[in-house]
Amino acid sequence: MANWIKKIVLSILVFWVVGVVVGRLLGLQGNEIDLSHVLASPSWQHWFGADDLGRDIFSRILRGVEVSFVVALCVTVVTMTVGVTIGLLAGFYGGKLDKVLMQITDIFLAFPGILLAIAFAAVLGPGIVNLMIALCLTGWVSYARLTRAQTLSLRNRQHVLASESLGAKPLRLMRYHIFPLLLSVLIVEATYSVASIMIAEASLSFLGLGIQAPNASWGAMLRDAVRYMLVAPHYVLLVGASLMSLILAINLGGDYLRDKLDIASSMNEN
Amino acid sequence: MISRLFGFITVIFGVLVLTFLLIHLVPGDPVEVMLGESASMADREALREQLGLNQPLIHQFGTYLNKLAHGDLGQSIQTKTPIVDLFKTRYPASVQLALLSMLIGLFVGVPLGVYAALKAGRWQDVVVTVVSVRLSAMPVFWLGPILMLVFAVWLDWLPVSGMDEPTAIILPALTLGFGLSAILTRMTRTSLLEVLNEDFIRTARAKGLSERTVILRHALRAALLPIVTIVGLQMGSLLAGTVITETIFSWDGIGRLLVESIEKRDYPVTQACVLTVSLSYVVINFLTDIVYRMVDPRMRQA
Repeated sequence: MANWIKKIVLSILVFWVVGVVVGRLLGLQGNEIDLSHVLASPSWQHWFGADDLGRDIFSRILRGVEVSFVVALCVTVVTMTVGVTIGLLAGFYGGKLDKVLMQITDIFLAFPGILLAIAFAAVLGPGIVNLMIALCLTGWVSYARLTRAQTLSLRNRQHVLASESLGAKPLRLMRYHIFPLLLSVLIVEATYSVASIMIAEASLSFLGLGIQAPNASWGAMLRDAVRYMLVAPHYVLLVGASLMSLILAINLGGDYLRDKLDIASSMNEN
Repeated sequence: MISRLFGFITVIFGVLVLTFLLIHLVPGDPVEVMLGESASMADREALREQLGLNQPLIHQFGTYLNKLAHGDLGQSIQTKTPIVDLFKTRYPASVQLALLSMLIGLFVGVPLGVYAALKAGRWQDVVVTVVSVRLSAMPVFWLGPILMLVFAVWLDWLPVSGMDEPTAIILPALTLGFGLSAILTRMTRTSLLEVLNEDFIRTARAKGLSERTVILRHALRAALLPIVTIVGLQMGSLLAGTVITETIFSWDGIGRLLVESIEKRDYPVTQACVLTVSLSYVVINFLTDIVYRMVDPRMRQA
């Protein structure tokens, strides 16, 4: 990857991290209502303008970054743990267990994209915890698939067979001989999935199923912004551009990690 | 083929079980959530009876399947209309939107992919690839409003939302087709580059065929095979992507119906929407698989 792209990516990430931390330190909640600044355009006082209740959009974006990043991180940790466990078991033992587990993942895969998360979030009721549950219920599948495919090819590598013939138990084989080799692939997958979960969170919040008012979230802000698009076009443009910059930076970071960890070649050397 | 069919049937069964269980995931009493706390005991009992929630779970599932087999998707709690009637206008609207987006995706994506492949390694290729890779990550709930702002509000070329004018479909279809065209660009490029290295292309060139014939007749035909799969797989995500796009543009399809039903806590409608979209997705995927096998002679033995 070109050097200048790396620099841009890094500066975007640093910008948002510093913004969130400084915002925290200054105690910016973005929930203070100021009716004299309703839908104000960007100014020194309000960098990104103010929303329909006169709340500072930039402060709210910072809160949105924080919330969606925490959600993405939690969901990634849970789905990865569950998915990797299932994938390891299926790939390692094969046979009937593999068939059953893969049939279950197929059923989950049969639901297109975010639809299942929307359905779960809808019946569980709105709220941040239910949002995370909904995303966890649907997110483990890709890890399970990925881990299984990798495990299948690693299972018969010589170092695994050698250790097995020396009497190592399955758990030990998986823990010390297969799992470490999966790590680089999983790290890259996790980076991409943080970005896609942030989008999913925003989608659900956009539909009113995620984080509830008055707390800020990207999806809910975009929904309000669309409503006031005619009078305050800066609202929708700036909120969307912020979201997009962070998603892009994370995805490009994923590309960088993939090149760095040399995923493609390590997959081919079986 | 038999194992494919078996897998297909299990997946359909799984989808049925999962959507059936949806209503039982509602925390607490689903009847109370749907009717609100102020509902009278008689109303609650009536709804419980109507939904068959008093029966044992297995029995309920049996009734659910039986009704489905007779084309009965249940009844909306709010409007009391049969859900099948709601779907008669909603489903075609979504399919129309998805098909047009698919066409936009194909007409933009495939030529761009061919262009990038022919210019491989040069700056045109880099621009097309980088733009398509990263813009495909652009969420519809941002792209939609931007298109709306530019073409409907500022330029005033197209209607903002609704379904009254025939041109109203353009903006939502562009919103959905955009991400798709990016995916298709990448796929076409990769696939064509692979094919261009094959022996039969060298033979075609050696025969003295024009570059145009080589690319369009020989290379592109072979390169388009994987595209069939992608188109099929993406059709399902398109149906799901319509949920947000339809909401933004007030397009009265299944996706918007789903969102409305969630807001009104009309769970039978929610359930029916999820089921219909998922089943469409599964069936399309299965058909894609079959078509792929028919189109590619190498796959027939497998």
